[in-house]
Order: sequence, then C-alpha cells, then structure tokens
Amino acid sequence: MDKVMTMKEAVSSFVHGGDTLFISGAQHGEPSAAIHEIIRQRIDHLTLVCALVTTSSLLIGEGAIDKMITGYSQQNDKRSYTIAKAKATNKLPVYEEYSHFGISLGLLAGQMGIPFMPTKCLLGSDMLKYNENIKSMECPFTGDKVGIVRAIVPDVGIIHVQRADAEGNAQKWGSLGVDQEGINASRTVVVTTEKIVDSDIIRRDPNRTIIPGFRVSAVVEQPWGAHPMHLAGYYNGDMFGLMTELREKDGYEAYMEKLVYGVSDWNEYLSGRKAIKGEDYFNNLLIQEPLMSEPVISGY
Amino acid sequence: MTQDKKDAGYSATDQMIVSAARQIKDNEVVYVGVGLPMLATMLAKNFHAPNCTVVIQNGTVRKSLFPLPAGTDTLGVQTMSDLLTSLFYVNCLGQAGYINTGFLGAGQVDRYGNINDTVVGDYRNPVHRWPGSGGANDVMSICKQTIIIVRQSKRRFPEKVDFITCPGYLDGKPGQREEIGLIPNTGPRAVITNLGIYVFEDREVVLKSIHSGVGVTIDQVKAEVGWDIRVASDFGDTEPPTEEELRIFREKVDPEQTWAGGRRLLAREEED
Repeated sequence: MDKVMTMKEAVSSFVHGGDTLFISGAQHGEPSAAIHEIIRQRIDHLTLVCALVTTSSLLIGEGAIDKMITGYSQQNDKRSYTIAKAKATNKLPVYEEYSHFGISLGLLAGQMGIPFMPTKCLLGSDMLKYNENIKSMECPFTGDKVGIVRAIVPDVGIIHVQRADAEGNAQKWGSLGVDQEGINASRTVVVTTEKIVDSDIIRRDPNRTIIPGFRVSAVVEQPWGAHPMHLAGYYNGDMFGLMTELREKDGYEAYMEKLVYGVSDWNEYLSGRKAIKGEDYFNNLLIQEPLMSEPVISGY
Repeated sequence: MTQDKKDAGYSATDQMIVSAARQIKDNEVVYVGVGLPMLATMLAKNFHAPNCTVVIQNGTVRKSLFPLPAGTDTLGVQTMSDLLTSLFYVNCLGQAGYINTGFLGAGQVDRYGNINDTVVGDYRNPVHRWPGSGGANDVMSICKQTIIIVRQSKRRFPEKVDFITCPGYLDGKPGQREEIGLIPNTGPRAVITNLGIYVFEDREVVLKSIHSGVGVTIDQVKAEVGWDIRVASDFGDTEPPTEEELRIFREKVDPEQTWAGGRRLLAREEED
C-alpha cells in the first residue's frame, strides 16, 4: 500500500491536539520539517516525549506543549527565548523528568507491550519524588531493590530517516539515540525521509530497517528534512546556528515569522533559509569526504 | 576567582583539563559527557591513553581518534566508529558492568558527592533551572567510578544540594548506595576543578591538592566551598601540566581554542 503523502496531509491526518507525541532524533536527524508543520497547523496541548530538545524547542516557544517527558530540557530562559516566551505566555510545559536511560527504558517497555522496565539507574535520585512513573521495588528473585520505569506509549511518533519505501519500511543509520524503541513504542507512526526508494533497495539490506511498513501510517519525502540537525550520510548540522538565532526575542520572532508561519512548506523554508544564510550555506553543510562501506551480500 | 599566573605558561583551565585527563588509563572504557569531560578525554586519547575506548551516550562506541565535538552527537563523532548503536545499548554496557570510568560535568556538587543538574530552590518554582539529568544520573549510577569535572565556585559547592539528580554517597553514612539498590562499588571517586583536586575519604569530599602552579591558595579554595572542607591526609600541590601535555592539548585537541576557556557558546559549563 502506498502511504506517500505531503507533510501537510501527514501531520493533519495523524497528529492531533492533545496527543502524546514522540519526536525522534536526539540531535541526530530530528524531524525538523514535521515540527515546523505541526506549528503551522497550530496543533497544541501536546505531551512531548523526546531524549533531547533542540528543534522541538520551537514547539515549546509557540505554547504547543503542555507536558514534556524527557531527560534533558536543554535550554533555560537565560539561554533561549523559547522558554522565556513559554513562561511569559503562561504555557511553560510541566516536566516529567527521567534520565536518558530512563526515557529509553520507558519507551522500550512501551515497545515490548509490558507495564514497566527495571533498572539500576535512577535509584536515590530526587527525580523519583516528582515523577510518579518512576518507582522502586524489591526484585522478586533476589529481594534487592530495583528502580522501575513505567511504560511510555506515545499516541504518535515521527521519525526522519535516510531512506524508506512507499509502504513505510524505513531505514536509519548512524547513532540512534532512542529512535528504535521510541518509534516502535508509538501507536501511530509517521516516517519522513530524505528519499523514497524502491522496495528492493530496502530488501537488499533489511537489517537496516528500523520499523517495518505495516507499522507505518504515512511516508513523506522531504530532502533536508532534519536540517539544522545533521544526518549521517547526508549533511552536517548547524545546531549552534539555530540556538544562537533563537536566543533573543528578535531572532526568535523573525525566525518564526519568516521561516515557519511565513512559508507554506519545508521547500519554501529551505529557500528562505538560503536567502538569509547565503548561496553556499547548504553546500557547505554537505559531507565533504563521503565514506562508502563494503556492500552487504544477501541472497540464496 | 582564579587569577591565571601569566608566568606559569598555562591557565587554571589547562590544569583542570590536564589533571582530569590523567585520570583516564590506557585500555580502559570511558563513558564521556560533552564539554570539559570530552576535552579531557581527547587529551588522554591523544597522549597517554591512545587505546581507551570512548562511549558516548547517543550510541557511539569507538577507539580511534575523532574531532572534538561541539555537541553530544556530530558526524565527526559517528564517522569511523567501532559501533554505532543506541542510548539503550551503551547504558546496558554500563549497567552490566563493562564501563570502568564515567566522566561528568555538574551543576553543583555537595559534601558527599551528590550532583544537582536540575533545580536550585523549589522544584516547581525554582530559583535556577538546569537542563536536567540527561545521561548524568545513568553514568554516576552504573560506572565503576565517576570523575566529576566542574568549574568551582561557592554556589556550585553547597554543603547539601537542593535536588539530587545523581546520587553520590547521599548523606555520607556507610553503605547507603547499596541500601537503596545501586550497584555495589560504584560512585564518585574524584572532583576536579580549576582550583584543585578533591577525592573522597569516608564518602566525603576532601581536598587532595591545589593548583598552586597557577597561584591558587588553600584560603581561596576554602572561600569557594560551601562547608568547612577537610584536607586529605596526603594533601599537596597539583602536579603541573608537562610541556608535552600542553603542546598536545593546544595543537591536537583544541587547536581553535573553542573550548579552552570553557567558553563554548551555549555549553553547559558556561551556564550559571
């Protein structure tokens, strides 16, 4: 089944106000284009699940997030206008805080379809006082204390990948952060991809598939879809460029006006970005010395 | 704060990074946070510990050299790794006992080595908010030993932190880590700052050495600690950086001086 659609269609069909939304990436290959589209469609009251908050901080600034389930809020109001604005508009999200491993374990339990995961992390931390979804218990086998993290099951997850086929078989490589468990824990899955490829390309290297097509609801082809984050095999990032831009009110509001609300889609964003940053901006981010791996051989 | 001694030929920050780097032994497995811990690790890797394996939280495991990363994850960090995997996998390595040393920055460190990376004041209405644990709680919970590297001030060294993000030795009584279920024989082993080196005696932070080569005095250290700190039985001067260590640091690790002053734009270490 062909699930290819535009970003506008994918977001309006599968991301709804009030949803618990998993955003993949953890700095590497975040679905930035999808995040812009969610803001443009003014979808709000979201609960955001993520490991790191970089491009998703735009959602916070625009007041779209009621609650953050994360291990690292990344920015405070002295360093980013997104938090300052959310505070000023009384829309600062409530934090539900974990360690990185804690988030990963919650999502893994979600992926596994079990209620919680035990761990030797988080014990003795004050995070347990404020997060009712982390507790400790006695191990039924040894009697030792273990930490437990409740399963996290996002309503919808968005992942940006290097390649996918029209059915949604999606392949991502490079560092994976919490992508594997996060996207597989999500009930509904939206895949955005640099490139839609023939299914045979996927099937000649199926170990690379992070989620199979039958779990995916929408496939959106979007080159540079993770910019300004980096994506293995495609481009370097400009994360500090974005963070610097969003640090003060003027920069933040200009960004939102010119590059989010003032454009109709990500391709217009890319043109707008180039007009501001200069003709060579994207070329300079391309990988200068690509390395090719040995082909993986399959067949019988 | 520290006045860098011009005639020393190196700064207090240089001393901090060199002293931290010396904590890493060749052939060991090190779980490294971004910023100062990464700088120290890169110096070790370029100098006395070329065979250490570096583990980075986003899912990178590697032995070969790589360019100093500005963030947690960059294509430079990923490229030519031994293993690219997930955050889950690298933490499993630690939880199952395969990571010797963790290397962390910190918002605050208290008398018993507890780290606060979360809030100063009330949790729901804080005076100051840091970004939170990230991987820090995991590192301090699972690595066999954890080294903390932090720029020192009285505010960063309270007697008791308002919020324990990463448990050190809690209130200092014996066996507390084990009692609450943490893995036995884990926890903080040293705190390295721009003023001195601290170790743990009976689970309490004590002053091991001061960076006297850049003019640090014991009074100056005491003024930047929030309790009446004890001095270690074998207290002395910090061993200054060698010319070779300084040369490698400046030429190979951070030639563009992006981190040397700890002033990387938007870095956690720069936050107050």
